[in-house]
Amino acid sequence: MKRLLKQPFWQGAIVVAIAYVVFKYLIGYALPIIGVSSAPVPSSVILQYMLTVFVGVLLYMSAEEGRWGTFQKPIKEAMVSRDQKNLRGVLMVVIPIMVGWLAYQNVKPSFAAPATLRSIHPAPPNEITFRGLPIQLTGLENPLHENGSLEEHLQVGKAIYVKNCVPCHGDLLDGAGHFAQVFNPIPADFTNSGTLPMLTESFVFWRIAKGGPGLPQEGTPWDSAMPAWENILDENEIWSVILFLYDQTGFSPRTWHEEGEEGGEEH
Amino acid sequence: MSLEGTGEGSKKMSGLKRGLALFAIGTLIAVPLLAQVAGPDYGEFGIFGMDRRDAVWMAAQLHLLFAAFVLGVPMFAVVIEAIGIFGRQERYDKLAKEFTRLLLVAYSATAIWGAILVFFLSTLYPRFWAYLTAIFAPSMWLYAGMFFLESFTLYLYYYGWDAWKKGVAKKVHWFLGIMLNVWGTIVMFIANGWLTYMMSPPADVTADTAPQTVQLWSAIANATWMPINIHRLLANVVFGGAIVGAYAAYRFLTSESDEERAHYDWMGYTGNFIAIGALIVLPFAGYWLGREIYEFSQQMGITMMGGFMSWLWIIQAFLIGILFLTGNYYLWIGMGRIPGAERFQPYIKWMLLVLVLGVIVWATPNTVIADRDEIAAMGGTHHPFLGVLGVMSAKNTAVNLMILTTFLSFLMYRRANKEPVVSWAKMGTMLQGAAFVVAALVVLFYGIYGYFVSAIIRIGFSVYQVAAVLVTILFVLGIDIAMVRGAKSRGAIRWGQMPDRSQYALLILAVTFTWLMGLMGFARSGIRQHWHVYEVIRDTSEQAFTPALGPAATMISTCVLIFFGLVGMIFWLGGLAEKSVYDDTSAAESGH
Amino acid sequence: MWKANFKILMTVVMTLGVFTVVSNIIPQVRSAVPELIVINADMTPDELAAIGENVYLGVGGCTACHGLGTRAPDLLGVAGTVCTTRDPELTCKEYLYESLVDPLAMIVEGFQPIMLDQSRTLGQPELWTLVAYLESQGGEITVTADDISGALAAAEAAEAVTVTEAAPMNPGDIDPLNLIAVNGCLACHAMDGEGGEVGPPLGDLIGQDLAFIREGIVNPNASIAEGFEAFAGTMPPIFGDMMSPVELDVLIEFLATGTVGAVSGEEESNEDGN
Repeated sequence: MKRLLKQPFWQGAIVVAIAYVVFKYLIGYALPIIGVSSAPVPSSVILQYMLTVFVGVLLYMSAEEGRWGTFQKPIKEAMVSRDQKNLRGVLMVVIPIMVGWLAYQNVKPSFAAPATLRSIHPAPPNEITFRGLPIQLTGLENPLHENGSLEEHLQVGKAIYVKNCVPCHGDLLDGAGHFAQVFNPIPADFTNSGTLPMLTESFVFWRIAKGGPGLPQEGTPWDSAMPAWENILDENEIWSVILFLYDQTGFSPRTWHEEGEEGGEEH
Repeated sequence: MSLEGTGEGSKKMSGLKRGLALFAIGTLIAVPLLAQVAGPDYGEFGIFGMDRRDAVWMAAQLHLLFAAFVLGVPMFAVVIEAIGIFGRQERYDKLAKEFTRLLLVAYSATAIWGAILVFFLSTLYPRFWAYLTAIFAPSMWLYAGMFFLESFTLYLYYYGWDAWKKGVAKKVHWFLGIMLNVWGTIVMFIANGWLTYMMSPPADVTADTAPQTVQLWSAIANATWMPINIHRLLANVVFGGAIVGAYAAYRFLTSESDEERAHYDWMGYTGNFIAIGALIVLPFAGYWLGREIYEFSQQMGITMMGGFMSWLWIIQAFLIGILFLTGNYYLWIGMGRIPGAERFQPYIKWMLLVLVLGVIVWATPNTVIADRDEIAAMGGTHHPFLGVLGVMSAKNTAVNLMILTTFLSFLMYRRANKEPVVSWAKMGTMLQGAAFVVAALVVLFYGIYGYFVSAIIRIGFSVYQVAAVLVTILFVLGIDIAMVRGAKSRGAIRWGQMPDRSQYALLILAVTFTWLMGLMGFARSGIRQHWHVYEVIRDTSEQAFTPALGPAATMISTCVLIFFGLVGMIFWLGGLAEKSVYDDTSAAESGH
Repeated sequence: MWKANFKILMTVVMTLGVFTVVSNIIPQVRSAVPELIVINADMTPDELAAIGENVYLGVGGCTACHGLGTRAPDLLGVAGTVCTTRDPELTCKEYLYESLVDPLAMIVEGFQPIMLDQSRTLGQPELWTLVAYLESQGGEITVTADDISGALAAAEAAEAVTVTEAAPMNPGDIDPLNLIAVNGCLACHAMDGEGGEVGPPLGDLIGQDLAFIREGIVNPNASIAEGFEAFAGTMPPIFGDMMSPVELDVLIEFLATGTVGAVSGEEESNEDGN
């Protein structure tokens, strides 16, 4: 055993195995047990991570001439050495079976919808038509900051939220309303720092006004169940509920000034 | 209220007057223009299963790659010549000349692809081409003139190399090399004006603006012109270095004598050094460009970063991960030929660990590919745990730590065979170590703190992180230069004693750089979406859609393959024309 | 030598191959061109109806109510035939057009007056393609390009005089008297001795709280004025939606002060902000 641990080939194999356990089981299943919020990692991400680790191991092994030689030794032995005849026989059976199994896994019929790419924060248009009137989104600020009493707007927004939004987005604004679990994707969790603080108020306005049907074509499929609220709420009502959302969650919206570089991967 | 009204009224008046004036000019010039643009908007093309856009795409991509070659390599040559002149090392001078020879052929390739591009544009996109010429005609003449000047300077530079070898004549010769770069840079700036106009036309240009009325200078100096200029200039240095590395690797792998191998090993190292050095500053120019794009149009910015192109950045992270890993790998293998490098071997696995973790974090997608079950299991759009790694704070931290690690690799490489003799050597090394630790802590601190502040403040943090890394690099390098002065050598670098793997690593670096250029070019022009000129001239051809990443990648790979095929021919011709100019003394020098 | 060349070639090809394959196996998202619909005079009725179908199923949002069986009449397959039976004075297309722009003019028995004026969200060409599509449901398409250009010209002319058509955003341009006339307030309410007696006279509102008046318009049945209990529930709760927020503000301001043009500076900035 100790001899094996000294051999670079097995060291590398162990590192790869440990990495797999970490990505697949530790992050996916062990973390939730100790109370860290996590979930099973999608297979595409695991594949990507494992490739990176695998390449890293290969680079390390071949970065120095001596190590590269010892690393290759078990492989060469298994392929040509006389005393490894049995091992060779086993490998010649096992490897084709594995390849066949992988091929089968990939081609067997399945009922699952194909994996999709979802762009969480799609690109907003520069201008939308709100009830027949054009509204320029770029640079748009919430007009209610400028007039009327904030207190009143918040009251209005709160009432609107309770009346229209609670069933899906929840009374804690955490996206866990009564209807939430039947949707896929589930409704946005406003308490998550990845949602409201990443967005300008105009973006939120666009999302509320146009809802799921108004999402752009890119980043499809959109299965969003969000209705287009422009037919039900008027402009000021939408702005008030936006004020309420930010006030209640304690986040502040992204502003128009000084923005730029971070953009996308941020989302 | 009333004051405001008057103000608006007068504005309207002047606007009206201007409109009338424009109309007058418009009608005067529109007549010949109409005659010019009469006929179909688009020409037909259908060879090898390519449509008209593929044809223009390929011609433009190849023209650009060769143009980058003939701009990047002279930059390299002129820097190397200067090292030769001022450092009094003749082998650098020979290296510079060897590259200038390659340029002669590359020049004609650039011109040929440029001509093909113009031909395709004018026959396949006649209306759009007429529009562009109506605005940019004077600059197009200047472009051609500059190109001529540039090639003439190149001939003088190359053929005068041996004639002007000594004293003032040599300085004049070097000055010619600088002028060659100046002309090349101007040519690039002019072409950048055209393409950035397509991306970010000045705000006063609308769909109804007659092209003749667009001010030439305002069209050229548009919002994204300067950022693109700087970004491309730096990228050309990287590209030049990478191509030199690839040439050296090619000659190393095909050479038959140890002396030749020693020479090309050294050349490959030098090229790679310049490429990686310039690569480190490239992201900042990229940030600036991205910022300008956001300022110009939020929609364009989000299309680029968060919209349908978001996965392009994961591919980019994957490519840059390859660059970092391969670049470090090359240095680590290179340590095998330096006496005394053994003492740094134990650190390599930890540096590799940092790099691998960095790549993992950097390439963690925020927009995860997942099927419906996986999405449901994750509870929505992003992974509750890994989502933390998908945001900019984590990515900036990762990339800054990767840059620090790469610099550490380089420092070890540099120090491997030297033993400092200055009295404060120990102290200096500790200072260097402390600087690394401080920089890493600053990067980590702001990376983690970034999660607790709003977006607008977080953007500012990336500046602190970058500043910490750059200051550390300069500081540590400063100490190092002072410290190794007169240092005792543990033995000369055994140039040429490199396993072939290292040379393949150089080739992969060059291919990856080139492909990355193609990919970023696709990102830049793809965000215009269905516009020839963004929100001014709509693309009404069947190819108005923006292709998905897969077809784009296939096109880029095809172009890069053709490019390297032609470059391989240029390299081969370079070897054919003249026996290589290695010299034995190179083995005795440490090289820097 | 040739071996080295071959290996070099393979390195380049393999590297490019990996990049190409990776980029191709991820789900592909192509950015499509937003469709530019041009409606012109040479379009055949079928082409108009095809566009109308897209409006019906898409931006028009018609299927939210129509066809579900409970909220609004089912139109598919029958709209083209029943259209002539509803109002003897109107042709099929006139009736369908009216039901889009003035939906409350005729309410099919058994349904609530909940439909909104569609010209607020759809342009004239879209409305007419919708009519063409509805006609195609069991009837013959009689809509022509002339209808569209005529409607456009009429809308343009109307924009100059009435407010509801174009809903200008500048409160200074809105005439509250016109709003009162257009929305038919005087059918029930009296003003300056004119108008009905179903609801309280508008003059009573002078000096009242703005929020109270707003509620009275937007949600009329929340409180019933003294003496009008018998008429509770008569006023439809649709006027809030019939006017733009700006118009509503102007009207409320007018009702509370009794004077035209008494628009405060505060509201001015409000609208500029929008």
